[in-house]
Amino acid sequence: MTMDEIRPGRGCRIVRQNLGGATGQRLMDMGFMPGTKVEVIRNAPLVDPVDLLIRGYHVSIRHAEAKGVEVEQL
Amino acid sequence: MRHKGNKIVVAVAGQPNSGKSTIFNMLTGARQHVANYPGVTVEKRTGKYSHNGNSVTLVDLPGTYSLTSYSQEERIARDFLLHEKPTCVLDIVDASNLERNLYLTFQLQEIGIPLVIALNMMDVAQARGHVIDTHKLSELLGAPVVPTVGNKGKGKQEVKEAIVNTHKNTENGSFRIDYGEKLESILGLLEKKLSEDLDISASYPVRWLSVKLMENDSEARRLVEKAVSA
Ligand SMILES: Nc1nc2c(ncn2[C@@H]2O[C@H](COP(=O)(O)OP(=O)(O)OP(=O)(O)O)[C@@H](O)[C@H]2O)c(=O)[nH]1
Ligand SMILES: [Mg+2]
Repeated sequence: MTMDEIRPGRGCRIVRQNLGGATGQRLMDMGFMPGTKVEVIRNAPLVDPVDLLIRGYHVSIRHAEAKGVEVEQL
Repeated sequence: MRHKGNKIVVAVAGQPNSGKSTIFNMLTGARQHVANYPGVTVEKRTGKYSHNGNSVTLVDLPGTYSLTSYSQEERIARDFLLHEKPTCVLDIVDASNLERNLYLTFQLQEIGIPLVIALNMMDVAQARGHVIDTHKLSELLGAPVVPTVGNKGKGKQEVKEAIVNTHKNTENGSFRIDYGEKLESILGLLEKKLSEDLDISASYPVRWLSVKLMENDSEARRLVEKAVSA
């Protein structure tokens, strides 16, 4: 499954990231590496952004970007 | 000849909001000059101070999360380090977001310029209950680590001292990330190949260039293609 499918309040673990280019790099800069735990704070259908808590800080990304991150739900 | 002290050029780098400008102001006070980087509208702030007879010039690099060639700010920061070859980099690390900030630190280290690390926002880290062993960190990174609280002026003298002492620290710049067997075997080949090209190895840190080529970094490719076709 992908990160955009995770409901608010749920956690997940990153399996892989399929975004290339500048966006993929930016997520890597933010620590979106395989194995990293992420908590979804806000995620409403069709409403950007998706708010996440990763490695102790908040990051907001678009649904389209969250769709490029494969995760397993915790 | 009478010893007049050294001219030291320090590039101030760090992730956005780590406190670069605050530390820059703490060190230089009012002696600042603002211009633009050549050809772009990104602000280039420089400042001066002297310490123990050394004249120190600081250049504030744009805040960036990493040093790829995806954004103009990153390219500016990177080009400055590669082409202007400052004496050292003062890396402002947000101690309250240590893990994420070290990502840039590693990239700076790969460029091979001696680092002085200002571990800033120590008050915030402490308030969050983080305990950081700065000696251990310094040992692991092979670079001096100075705890600072920029907006309170804490750590000012220690940072100045570390900067004028960079040339004495022979360990500095020796740190190297091990990317694991799989990647290292390819990196080794690239490094060897690039070292054989004297133009390239005289102008660019070969290890850094090899890593960037593996990332398929457009600027790194351009540098190598240009050198090869010359
Ligand atoms: N609590 C605390 N606040 C700090 C410290 N250092 C800087 N600040 C504050 O953090 C904020 C950001 O600092 P700046 O110096 O603007 O950070 P910067 O890295 O230049 O930011 P950008 O240029 O926007 O990337 C300011 O409000 C500073 O007053 C510190 O050690 N502790
Ligand atoms: Mg600033």
